[in-house]
Amino acid sequence: MDASVHALVRLEGVTKRYDNGAAPAVADISLAVQAGEAVAIMGPSGSGKSTLLNLVAAMDRPTSGAVRVGDERVDMLSETAAARFRRRQVGMIFQFFNLLDDLTVIDNVLLPAQLAGARTAGARRRADELLAALRITHRRDAYPGRLSGGERQRVAIARALINKPAVLLADEPTGAVDTATGEEIGALLRELNAAGQTLILVTHNPDLAARYTRRVVAIADGRVSSDSRLAPRTGASDGASR
Amino acid sequence: MTAVVRAARGGLVGRRLQAVIIGLVVLAATATSTVALGLLADAHGPFDRAFAEQHGADVTAVVSTSSASPAQLAATTRLPGVTAAAGPFAEVTVTALETVPGVAGSSQVPLRIAGRSSPGGPVDALTLDHGHWPDRAGQIVMDRGTGVFAGATLTVGSQRLTVVGVADSVTGTADGWVLPSQLAALAGRPGPGSAQMLYRFGGAGRPGPIASDVAVLRAALPRGSLLNAVSYLAVRQSEESNIAPWVPFIIAFGVIALVISVLIVVNVVGGAVLAGTTRIGVLKSIGFTPAQVVASYVLLAAIPALAGCVVGAACGNLLAIPVLRVNASVYQVGRLGVPFWIDVAVPLTALALTMAGAAAPALRAGRLSAVQAIATGRAPRPAHGYRAHRALARLRSAPRAVTLGLAAPFGRPARALVTAAAVLFGAAAVTFGAGLAISVGRVAADSPETTLPVRVVVNPGPGGPAPMTAAQQRAVVSALAARRGTRRYVAEADGQVSLPGPAGSASVTAYGGEPAWTGYTLVSGRWYSTSPGAAEADVNTLFLTDTGTSVGSAYTLVSGGRRVTVRIVGEVFRPGKDVQMFVTPATLAAVDPGAAPQQYDVALRPGTSPQAYANALSAALGPSYQVLVGHGSRQYAAVLALVAMLTTLITVVAALGVLNTVALQIRERARDIGVFKAIGMTPWQTLVMIACSVALAGLIAGIVAVPAGVYLHEGVVPVMAHAADSGYPPSLISVYAPWEFIVLGLAGLVIAVAGALGPAGWAARTRTAFALRAE
Repeated sequence: MDASVHALVRLEGVTKRYDNGAAPAVADISLAVQAGEAVAIMGPSGSGKSTLLNLVAAMDRPTSGAVRVGDERVDMLSETAAARFRRRQVGMIFQFFNLLDDLTVIDNVLLPAQLAGARTAGARRRADELLAALRITHRRDAYPGRLSGGERQRVAIARALINKPAVLLADEPTGAVDTATGEEIGALLRELNAAGQTLILVTHNPDLAARYTRRVVAIADGRVSSDSRLAPRTGASDGASR
Repeated sequence: MTAVVRAARGGLVGRRLQAVIIGLVVLAATATSTVALGLLADAHGPFDRAFAEQHGADVTAVVSTSSASPAQLAATTRLPGVTAAAGPFAEVTVTALETVPGVAGSSQVPLRIAGRSSPGGPVDALTLDHGHWPDRAGQIVMDRGTGVFAGATLTVGSQRLTVVGVADSVTGTADGWVLPSQLAALAGRPGPGSAQMLYRFGGAGRPGPIASDVAVLRAALPRGSLLNAVSYLAVRQSEESNIAPWVPFIIAFGVIALVISVLIVVNVVGGAVLAGTTRIGVLKSIGFTPAQVVASYVLLAAIPALAGCVVGAACGNLLAIPVLRVNASVYQVGRLGVPFWIDVAVPLTALALTMAGAAAPALRAGRLSAVQAIATGRAPRPAHGYRAHRALARLRSAPRAVTLGLAAPFGRPARALVTAAAVLFGAAAVTFGAGLAISVGRVAADSPETTLPVRVVVNPGPGGPAPMTAAQQRAVVSALAARRGTRRYVAEADGQVSLPGPAGSASVTAYGGEPAWTGYTLVSGRWYSTSPGAAEADVNTLFLTDTGTSVGSAYTLVSGGRRVTVRIVGEVFRPGKDVQMFVTPATLAAVDPGAAPQQYDVALRPGTSPQAYANALSAALGPSYQVLVGHGSRQYAAVLALVAMLTTLITVVAALGVLNTVALQIRERARDIGVFKAIGMTPWQTLVMIACSVALAGLIAGIVAVPAGVYLHEGVVPVMAHAADSGYPPSLISVYAPWEFIVLGLAGLVIAVAGALGPAGWAARTRTAFALRAE
C-alpha cells in the first residue's frame, strides 16, 4: 500500500496562480508528509515555498489540486472552517514573529486557545508549561517590543503550540535572528520534532535544513526539483541543542 | 504647480478608500446643508416668491355685475396706483357632488368657480400642476388646495363637470375654473351676477396703502357694487404663521450636520496625514518645498471633496425638491426650488471647511524635515492602549474577540474621541428627531380634524355659512343618533367679540357637549365648566398676549352693546394668528342672542370609515346639508417627512465617520488582522472584534446623546411654539417614555456598528494570506 495514503499532510497536483497570465507560484506539486516527520522545504526567494506553506495552513486556496491534512480537504474549507482547522491542526511560526505588540507575552500565547474557546484554567496551565519549556517564563508579562529576537521567536513557538497542533509550520523561523539565536531556535524545533511533533520548515538555508530536519524538498520555479531523505543525525551534530 | 497636482493625484491613487470616504462625507454634509438651507430659505419667503412668479393679485375684488357695467369695471384698471389688472371673471358659488372613479357614493363640496378662458394673464397667472386647461363645456380645472383630483366628476344641478386638470392660485382666487361660456349654465340663471376683478397696485406691501387703494376702488364703482375685497396680506399672514415654526428645528438640524461634518473631516484628514507622513517625507527628499507639500496634501483632500461637493449639491436639490413641492402644496404657493445662491454657497463652504481641516495637519507635516517625516511615518505605532488590552484580557467572561475589539480604540484615543463625538451628535439628532416627531404627531392627533373627522353643516347661503334652525339641529342630531358609527359629537356655534388689542376682534366658539371632546390640548388650566351659570372661558395664547390677561383673569366680552364678564380658566393650544375664545353656548348666547350651532363635529367609533360614514350620513340628511370629511393636515405630514429625512441624513453622515475610523484602523492593523486569522480567528470573530472596536464609544456616545437630544428638544419646541404665537402644553415636551430612553440610548451603538459593518465585513472576508501580505 502507498505510504502517502496514511500521510498527515498530502498535496495532490497542487497549482497556485495569483494572476491568470503569470507563471504559477506553485505548479503541480504532489507531496506527502508523515506524522512525526520533519521536512524542510527549500528554495530561493520567489520559488513558491511560503505559498506552499499557506496552502497547507488553509490560509490560501490552490487554483487546482487537493490539499489534505489528516482526513480533511483543507482546500475545500470555508473561511470559518479554515480558521477552525488552523486552531486545531496547525501552529504557524513566521519569519518576523508576527507577535501582537499590544499584548503581553502570556496574552500572545493564550490568544489561539482563547479564540478556540478553550477553558481558561487549562489554557493558562498549558501556556505556563510552554513558557517554562521554552525558557521565557521570566518574560511572561513583558510586551514583545521589549524582547530580543530570540525571545520573540520563542514566544511565537509557544503560541503556535498552545492548541497542540498536529503539524507545526515554520516559515523561515531563523531568518530574522542572529546566527546564535538561529541555532537556538533550530535546536528547539528539533527537540519538538523529537518529541513527536510533525514539522514543516520553510528555509532557504541548506545548513539549517540539513541539521534540523531529516527530509529536504527542494523547490524551484514552483515545482519540486528534488525530495531527499537525510541520514539520521549523529550526536555531534546536535551540539547546538541544550 | 503641475508637480503638486501630480503628487496629489498619485496620493489619491494609493488611497482610494480614503478618497471615497472624504467624497462621501462631504457629499452627505453638502446634501444635508443644501436641504436644510434650501428649506430655511424656503421658510423665509415662499409666499413672496410664488406671489412674484405668479403675479399674484394684491386685491381680489368681487363686484356685482348688475350694479357695475363692463365699462365701469374697465375704467378701474386705469385708476391711479393700479399697475396691472385682470377680469372681470364671472364667478359663482355652488355645492357640487363629487364622485371619484372606483369609490362608491359621492360627497358634497362647496365651491367658488370662476370663468377664465386661460390660466395666464397679467395678474394671478395660475400654475397648472397637471392636466390641461378646459377646452370645451363640461370640463373644469380644480385648485390644488381643494384636494379634488383629475378624473373626478362634479355634479352641479344638472351640469356634469369632469376635472381635467389641477392648478394653483397663490392667493386662492377660486376653487375651480371653467370656460366663461360654462359659467352661466352653472349659475342656473341667465344675466348678470358677480365677477372677480384682480388688481396689482404700485404701493402694495403694507396694510395702509392697500386699504387706501381699496377705498379708491370702492369710490370709483357704483355704491354697493363692490361686494368684497380681499388683500393678499391676509393670505400672506396666515402662510407665515404656518412657516415660522419650521425654522427653529431646521436650524437645529443644520447646526448638528455642520458640527458632525467638521468632526469627520478632521478625522479623515488627520488619518490621511498620519498614513501619508512617509510619503510627505519622500516628496520633500526629492525636492518639494514645504509650501508644495502642504499644497499637494490639501489637494489630496480637496479633489475628492470637490467631487463630493458637486454631487452633494445635486443630491441635496433632488432631496429637497419633493419636500419643497410638498411644502408648496401645503402652502398653496406654487412649485419652488432651492435658490441658486445656496447651490453655490453650500458646496464652496463645504470645500473651504475640508481644505481648512486638511491645512492644519498638512502644515504640521510641512514643517517636518524630510528625515523626520520619513522616520515618523515608519516608526512603530505609539504604545497607546496596552494597559487596556492587558486589563480586558483578564475579563474572562467575555469572548476574546470582544475584549480585543473593546481595547482597540485606546490605541488611537484622539481619533476614538472625535469619532465618539460625531456619533454623539448623530445619536442626539436621533433623540431630537424622535421627540420632534412625537410632538408634531401629538399636535396633529390632538386637533379636531383628527378627533372629530366628520363635520355636518347646512348648505351655505349667499352670506356664507348660516346658523342652523332648531328643526335643522333636531334633524342632524336624529341622523347622528341613528348611525352606528357615531361615537360622540359636539355642536359648534361661532361668534365675534371686540378686542381692544391689535387684532381688533376675537372669534368665540361655543361647544354644545364636552369641550374636551374637540381634542384641543390645554397649555395650562382646565376646560370651562358646563354647569349652568358658570361664566368661564378658555382662550388661546394670542388672546392672552393681545389682552394682557392670564389664566385666572376676568374678562368682559363686548358685542353689539352687550357685555358679559367671564373668568379665563384655561389656555388652549391653538397656534396661529387667530385670537380665539371658547365658552359654553349659554355664555355665547348672553353676548350674542342670535348665535346657534353652525356645524356638528362627529367622532367615530373605531373601525368606521369616515368617508363611508359621511356618504351614508349625507344620503340620510339630504341635499340641504353638507357632510364633510377632514383629511388631517398635510402640513404635519410634511413636517414629519422633513424630520425623518434630516435625521436619516445626519445618522448616515455620523455612520460614515465611523466607517472612516474603522477603515483607517483596518489599514493600520492589516498585519494584526492577518495574524489573528492565521492563528484561528474566524470571519465572524473578526467582524465582532472590529464592530466592538467602535461599539463601546458608540454606546457611551449614545447614552450621553439621550440627555443632549432631550435638552435640544426641550429648547427647540418652545421656540417653535413661540414662533407660532403660542404657548405649549407639557405633553409636547414630555414626549419620551422610559422604554424609549433605552431604545434611543442604543442609537449611538447602532450608528457605530452600522458604520463599522462595511469595512469589518471586508476584513472578515479577506483571505488570510492576502491580509498577511497587506502588511
